[in-house]
Amino acid sequence: MGILPDEIKSAMQGVLPSHVVTCSLDGIPNASSISQVYYVDGDHVALSHQFFNKTTRNVRENPRAMVWVVSPEALASWDLEVEYDHSETEGPVFDAMDMQIEAIASMVGLKGIFKLRAADIYRVLSVTKNVEDRIRA
Amino acid sequence: MSKTESGPEGSAASGLREKIAENQLTIDRLNRDLARKSNEVRIIQQISSEITSTLDLDEVLAIVLGAMERVLGFQYSMVLLKDLAQTKLRVFASRGYEPNGVGAEVALGHGVLGVVAERKRMMRIGNIGSSIAYLAGIRARMEAAGDIAPGTATPTLPGLAKGQSQLALPLLVKDRLVGVLAVESPKANAFDELDEILLTIIGNQAATAIDNASAYQMVEKLGRLKRFFSPQLAELIVTGGADDPLKTHRRDVTVVFLDLRGFTAFAETAEPEEVMAVLREYHAEMGRLILEHEGTLERFTGDGMMIFFNDPTPVADPAKRAVRMALAMRERVTPLCERWRKRGHELDLGIGIAQGYATIGAIGFEGRWDYGAIGTVTNLAARLCGEAKPSQILVSRRVASDAEDLVESEPIGPLVLKGLAKPVPAFNVVGLKG
Repeated sequence: MGILPDEIKSAMQGVLPSHVVTCSLDGIPNASSISQVYYVDGDHVALSHQFFNKTTRNVRENPRAMVWVVSPEALASWDLEVEYDHSETEGPVFDAMDMQIEAIASMVGLKGIFKLRAADIYRVLSVTKNVEDRIRA
Repeated sequence: MSKTESGPEGSAASGLREKIAENQLTIDRLNRDLARKSNEVRIIQQISSEITSTLDLDEVLAIVLGAMERVLGFQYSMVLLKDLAQTKLRVFASRGYEPNGVGAEVALGHGVLGVVAERKRMMRIGNIGSSIAYLAGIRARMEAAGDIAPGTATPTLPGLAKGQSQLALPLLVKDRLVGVLAVESPKANAFDELDEILLTIIGNQAATAIDNASAYQMVEKLGRLKRFFSPQLAELIVTGGADDPLKTHRRDVTVVFLDLRGFTAFAETAEPEEVMAVLREYHAEMGRLILEHEGTLERFTGDGMMIFFNDPTPVADPAKRAVRMALAMRERVTPLCERWRKRGHELDLGIGIAQGYATIGAIGFEGRWDYGAIGTVTNLAARLCGEAKPSQILVSRRVASDAEDLVESEPIGPLVLKGLAKPVPAFNVVGLKG
């Protein structure tokens, strides 16, 4: 049993935008959307790394990040406090993510254009459900 | 003992009780899981013995898809098999879909099914519709920014129009891809890890059974085809192309008709055994020449034969091939005729050849199929054969012009032929040039 609840899997089965906030070593925050957050196990998620951008650069110098995932079916969202661990360019996690992206990309004519460069593996430190509701309430 | 000392011991005891209760809950849960699992294992064993008990491909597929719904509760399922050309998957059986989509094709590497086939790895995806919408949005932005050229419409894939979840398993026999078994749902996140395990177990059994059944079907098909075509051709059809040659199609063919002049009178007067002996000798000789020239024998009717060229597999210069065969037949029949004449039978060969489009395919009914060609071209060839004098080879204008550098021919006619509105020019093939 890990820290991630089972119901969160509904937000991690496919190629759907999630959001990630990182911070550079000199303290400049950055928020961006990310096309795939993949459930690895109860304590780990993988984020798709398609282009080298501020997110990928920031976590490599400052590994802490926040990820916000949404499940449109469950009408719920979760905030994950995560820490970048390592990057994979092969193996079961990379393959599974890469296949999903390729399958969807090929259906919209983006095969070979929209593709996975690496699967960045993060350890999950905390999970908070529907933090927005609580802030509003 | 003072209270201060008994405190920790008491809490240790209650902690132990809690632990035991917790363990008991865990044991109960495991037992329940085990009961469910062993039930599933029992069902799966039953399915696998059903699957391996038949060599009928349709039956195997029906059992597999039936199990998907009955045992696992998957409403929409399909089996796609890899075509012989190894570039496409084709839906061979489905369950739950309306229309059933059988025959639909998927290119390797395209969509969930195509990617699963190409990578030979299982895929479980739970948000297909939303994912497509998201990437389509990205595509639109890239197009607007001029990063990529505007796309052409992508082909529709077999399956639910609004499927959200799919679990697709490559069917492998010793790492060789046989096909893909896929289940689908309009609901998001419909499948989980347990479904993956169950599908894998059934899929592994199914792959072997499907492979055996396909191999068996192919051998049967080969046997059936060898009745119609030369052995080389039959094997070519079974192993080479994806198209079923027995399906009705239209093709430009050269049609040859031949029959024995004087056969009716001979059959009336001679003993049946004598007639059969003559026919057997004649069929054997003609049959050998048909095979040699890669012709397709459409039918025998007593002394008559119809042969065509350029179908089911295209051949170079079908008209020349037909004329060359006709000349070889005439040459071969001449000594036979002399022998028959010595026995008192006046028999001689007449041949007609025409070229044009015909509709070709299986003609008949369940239990008795023939491979047949229908069209004006067959009528013309038959009528030319009817007009041919003993040892004459009459050909249509197109055949004469296609074979003009091969043979000498002289125009005759035009001939008024039954079933043809206008008189037809015809040519008598004298012999090979040079």
